[in-house]
Amino acid sequence: MIPAQTTNDFDVIIIGGGITGTGTARDCALRGLRVLLVERDDIATGATGRNHGLLHSGARYAVKDSESAEECIRENTILRKIAAHCVEDTQGLFITLPEDEEIGYGLDYQKQFIDACTRAGIKATAMDPREAIAMEPSVNPALIGAVQVPDGSVDPFRLCSANLVDAKLHGAKVLTYHELVEIIREGDTVRGVRVRNKTTGQTSAYFAPVTVNAAGIWGHQVAEMAGVHVGMYPAKGALLIFAHRVNNVVINRCRKSADGDILVPGDTVSVIGTTSTKIPFEECDDVRVTPEEVDLMLREGSRLAPSLMTTRVLRAYAGVRPLVSADNDPTGRNISRGIVCLDHEKRDGLRGFITITGGKLMTYRLMAEMATDAVCEKLGVTVGCSTATTPLPGSESSDIKEISKKLWKMPTIAQKASVGRVGTRASQIKADDRFERSLVCECEQVSVAEVRSAMDNLDVHNLVDLRRRTRVGMGTCQGQLCACRAAGLLGKNRLCVKKEREDLASFMEERWKGLRPVAWGDALRGAELSAWEYSEVLGFDKEDEQ
Amino acid sequence: MKFDTIIIGGGLSALTCGIKLAKAGRDCLIIASGESALSFNSGSFGLLSRLPDGTAVEEPLKAIEQLPSSHPYVKIGIDNTRRYAASAKEFFADCGISLRGTERNLWRYTSSGKMKRCWLAMEDTTAFVSREDKVGDKALIVTVKGFQDFFPGFVAESLEKKGISCRCESIELDELDMLRSNASEMRATNIALTMEKDKIRKSFVKEISRIRQDEDMLILPQIFGYEDTRALEDIRKAVGMPVTFISTLMPSVPGIRTQKMLKKAFEAAGGTLMMGDCVTGAVIEGGKIKSVLTSNLGSYGLEADNFVLATGSFFGKGLASDFTKIYEPVLGLDVDASEKRDEWYSSSFFDRQAFIGFGVKTDNDLHPSRDGEAISNLYAAGSVLSGAESLYEGSGAGVAIITAMYAADKILEG
Repeated sequence: MIPAQTTNDFDVIIIGGGITGTGTARDCALRGLRVLLVERDDIATGATGRNHGLLHSGARYAVKDSESAEECIRENTILRKIAAHCVEDTQGLFITLPEDEEIGYGLDYQKQFIDACTRAGIKATAMDPREAIAMEPSVNPALIGAVQVPDGSVDPFRLCSANLVDAKLHGAKVLTYHELVEIIREGDTVRGVRVRNKTTGQTSAYFAPVTVNAAGIWGHQVAEMAGVHVGMYPAKGALLIFAHRVNNVVINRCRKSADGDILVPGDTVSVIGTTSTKIPFEECDDVRVTPEEVDLMLREGSRLAPSLMTTRVLRAYAGVRPLVSADNDPTGRNISRGIVCLDHEKRDGLRGFITITGGKLMTYRLMAEMATDAVCEKLGVTVGCSTATTPLPGSESSDIKEISKKLWKMPTIAQKASVGRVGTRASQIKADDRFERSLVCECEQVSVAEVRSAMDNLDVHNLVDLRRRTRVGMGTCQGQLCACRAAGLLGKNRLCVKKEREDLASFMEERWKGLRPVAWGDALRGAELSAWEYSEVLGFDKEDEQ
Repeated sequence: MKFDTIIIGGGLSALTCGIKLAKAGRDCLIIASGESALSFNSGSFGLLSRLPDGTAVEEPLKAIEQLPSSHPYVKIGIDNTRRYAASAKEFFADCGISLRGTERNLWRYTSSGKMKRCWLAMEDTTAFVSREDKVGDKALIVTVKGFQDFFPGFVAESLEKKGISCRCESIELDELDMLRSNASEMRATNIALTMEKDKIRKSFVKEISRIRQDEDMLILPQIFGYEDTRALEDIRKAVGMPVTFISTLMPSVPGIRTQKMLKKAFEAAGGTLMMGDCVTGAVIEGGKIKSVLTSNLGSYGLEADNFVLATGSFFGKGLASDFTKIYEPVLGLDVDASEKRDEWYSSSFFDRQAFIGFGVKTDNDLHPSRDGEAISNLYAAGSVLSGAESLYEGSGAGVAIITAMYAADKILEG
């Protein structure tokens, strides 16, 4: 069937609102293309928001995969400049423990590791155990050696949101909560997409000469919808978040990569991970962490920092990496975690369709650049990529203290926290009104003003979206009070109380999903209190006699 | 130092037990460490609103017959439970807490405006005999501007379902600026403390009268009644229409008030309160507790003839857990709890949760045991006990009060 509408509304349609999709949308928009981004949920709901938040130095890959290592350190340096408000320079340690010696990863391996890092351009400095303990007091004191590398931490929600904000500032149209129902094909050419608005149920078609599949693991199905096959396999990675910042420096193991061997500090928490388990595609939409995985993370994590055994675990969560199976890889690359950019015209004879996948959070910008180059080649556009040098909105200045000082004479803790979250964009958060200064979320110091600003400017549709933009509900109380308060604020804006009730209930269910695998100790105590608060006080009960 | 009875815990159960003993002339010490479930009380007490199989309960004292033998109400004997329940109103009235209720459950509002069953309602809590009852047709819902722990929109939606039209307003109060400057201070109890000042309350009420149109009922968050329940009547007289207080997020004003009044009653009866200390262990000899140790007193043991453990559930720290087990952290008592972590919870947050029913194992006289051996001069009372799914059943306060009275009588019979 030939679509009734054949004029192109856009130059490029991007499917997927993760970091790859939003990064590609930004790159395309900066090069002057008319961009449409479609996402079936909120931004950063897939693997983007479900990883360590590690700003890799590349050292992890140096010995076995020098190409990935070089990519990482290049992007590491770039992100520190263009995404300053999303990045924290924590530095990282690769530690050697006595048991590593027994399996051939002793101090000899450490030398090999440092050499490989140096060759890849990663500054790697050997330290003696005492220096390492002085630098990071939580580290396992049994260590026999350590190497310092330029690791850091990155907030993927912020990074994703900043890319989207910039794409929109450059004219991109964004449709979140729009589900792909069809890739519109005309013979051997992809013409556009048909999407269903999940809120209204309405279906609409959009057209562009090029469509980019940037849907992460769901890109497998997107490709199938277009009639081509990309051999992906979903690899689940489980992680645990601790309720406070145990370490200030990233701690890694200096040996072959294994489960639970990276501990990353980020904002007010620390994250341990991860695992790599192949799962069926059906499970990708609802990945859960098992008690065995929790126990494994704790056991391995406590080898990095012994105090993890007795630290409260805030949540367990898992993401799905979009790995491209090497045997099926038409580009012939044998690196399953490498970037894969497929021009389906060259590969399958399908015109107007590109898949960008593989890769990792760290290399999202490079992936976006590769995808955008491919788009431009198809469109005959010759504008070069500028994302390696153009700061993201919020990162025009990197000095948090200076930004705070410019905005307020005497910044409050909440104001400082919001500069940390949104960088220079904090100036747009209006808090002239004394009522706007009240805190919605006490654990994370999020004010009414910041919540309002996020609702007005950052495509927030519900409480879970709001959490991704502002950290409301991410703290130790896990939404016990703040979720209700935020629901009250959202309700005022939307004037639909019934929806608000459902929203609050589904927010708490979402929190419970991550809390349940780790609900013991203080977490169980908090869960009991929340259960009473929601059922007995608020009357949110399953049983409803009305 | 030696007492007749030492009670560990400071919530509804501990205080009820302490008052009963002190009034009978016993030299009684309460050691309390911190928060109790009263801080999220809803202005009412529940005895039984739902049976474990989900059947709704109209007459709780009849329905207790259908509870399993492991339930505290059944353990102490159904007749005892009925007798203590019947004496509750008088008991609390003597402590200055006036409660309403009959043999049939009442209906009270929750914070979202939906109704829930309760057994006894406090004087300033609006409660109805029938779920269909209402006090008016046009409601004016007023809150304090900037107060985030009350949700007029939710309340309005629920009332409108009942055919009550609603108008929501918020009033600015300059006097609350002190609280506002530190945003986490804008809590119900802090506002209620400010509202205790006649002048402030009067200006608030005056503003309500000014914005009132033709409404015939007034709904306010429960940010009144810090010291006593007179505020409700005061406001009703001033605005000339019925007033309903709706509970806020915690801390609960009526809950904190009740706790204060019970403490006062306990001390007035001659009891000794030791607040902010926490029991760390006990000396047990020949199946009896000889003394308990506290963190402030160190190795100096506190002796008594009898002991009551009323430390509450997880929130009150009467129960604790790590990633392998549920345990009783104060005395290391035996517990009724599943050993598999997966069985502690339901997959939905809003479903009944098994862990709420976990607790200390006791015999029918409420004597707990350690390593299988009963401790004959120790009684457990309230939510530290196993066998009651208090949240699902709506039995939290009832179990706290009734088992405390039973334990007190056992000690008095002693």
